[in-house]
Amino acid sequence: MTKILLIEDIPDNVELVRKALSRTGYEISHAADAETGLAMALAQLPDLILLDLGLPDYDGQTLAGWLRAEATLVDTPIVVLTAWPEEAAKEVVKSYGCNGYIIKPIIKINEFIAQVNSYIKTP
Amino acid sequence: MTNAIKLIPASQFSIEQLAAIYNQTRVDYMVPMPMNAARLAEYIATYDVKLENSLVATTQDGEMLGVIMLGVRKDRAWITRLGVLPNTRRGGIGRALFAGLIEQAGPLSINFHMLEVIKNNVPAHQLFLKFGFREIGELLVLRRSPLTQPQDPVVADAQRLDRSDALVLVGHDRGTQPWTNQSESLFNANEVSGLLLTLADGSRGWLVYQRQKFLLTRFAFKTEVGDPAKVAYALLSHLHNQYPRLDTQIENIQINDPHLPALYEMGYIESFRRIEMWRGIPPASLKGIKKTE
Repeated sequence: MTKILLIEDIPDNVELVRKALSRTGYEISHAADAETGLAMALAQLPDLILLDLGLPDYDGQTLAGWLRAEATLVDTPIVVLTAWPEEAAKEVVKSYGCNGYIIKPIIKINEFIAQVNSYIKTP
Repeated sequence: MTNAIKLIPASQFSIEQLAAIYNQTRVDYMVPMPMNAARLAEYIATYDVKLENSLVATTQDGEMLGVIMLGVRKDRAWITRLGVLPNTRRGGIGRALFAGLIEQAGPLSINFHMLEVIKNNVPAHQLFLKFGFREIGELLVLRRSPLTQPQDPVVADAQRLDRSDALVLVGHDRGTQPWTNQSESLFNANEVSGLLLTLADGSRGWLVYQRQKFLLTRFAFKTEVGDPAKVAYALLSHLHNQYPRLDTQIENIQINDPHLPALYEMGYIESFRRIEMWRGIPPASLKGIKKTE
């Protein structure tokens, strides 16, 4: 089963993503801070990491750099979830080795699912 | 609205409660910068925040609506973490918190206040102007990804400094700094160390920094001899070769800092800007802070 790790600290956003992806059949796990997110990513080796940039211990950029440096996660797609302006999101993606970004708030569920699907590698 | 609120010293709340209200007030910010309780506790200790002089706004029923904090160092104060829940803004709570905080500082015989406001946060900026704050200058928040192509270390006599040696250096006069970068902030911070470097042409300088688990931060530069940009570049080349996996974020670098060109050359990019504002006459203690004091 395709595994997605969501690293996000705001419970309402977690609930929204879980609900949106519930019909996809993906297995969703969740971490609310960067240190937990790193530990879970290393333990689970997910197929996709959805990463909020505003986390309460280390921010999403710092975590992205760290995830990308881990040998077992070097090819794992990391997609930033952010309310930042698009140009700033692009800069984070480029600088921190992420694969893409999804702008919050998530309003159109089908569009969100299509975006998530596009980052998941088919075997 | 303001008649219906109470202002309560923040010391009457737990760190967890304060972290929760702070995060809730910023949930709709473009750069929310949330903090968990451990981060907030570190923030309070590093920046000399006095919770007994900081305030939480609540309803008469005790529901938390907003927060503001006060840092105190001798005859100087710093106002920080002002925030109001999104659905209760425009009701005068921010103004009441701000006025209450200034009043709190009165008995402390403090007549000089500093703060920073994110550039383009117009409502907050306007509020501070109304309370008599004036603009001092712009501050940069910069970061460098660990994926940035590393530069070879510049040939130099480079010496690593442990905490005690680094703090002796940082106690020297570095000119007027924003609160977050004042020497006291480094005295209070954990995992502080430094680099002292002399180049072949006699240029000399040092860099003191904090190394967190995943992050380098809190930089203090001083060029004793030579071109600051050249000295800073050499220092950064050694630092990033020493810690190639660590992300770097440095806050509140003054826009006219002579070391700035080296940061850009080393791959640092601007995240956002703040405006530094002061109220009152700067006391002598703002400059020349010594570790022994």
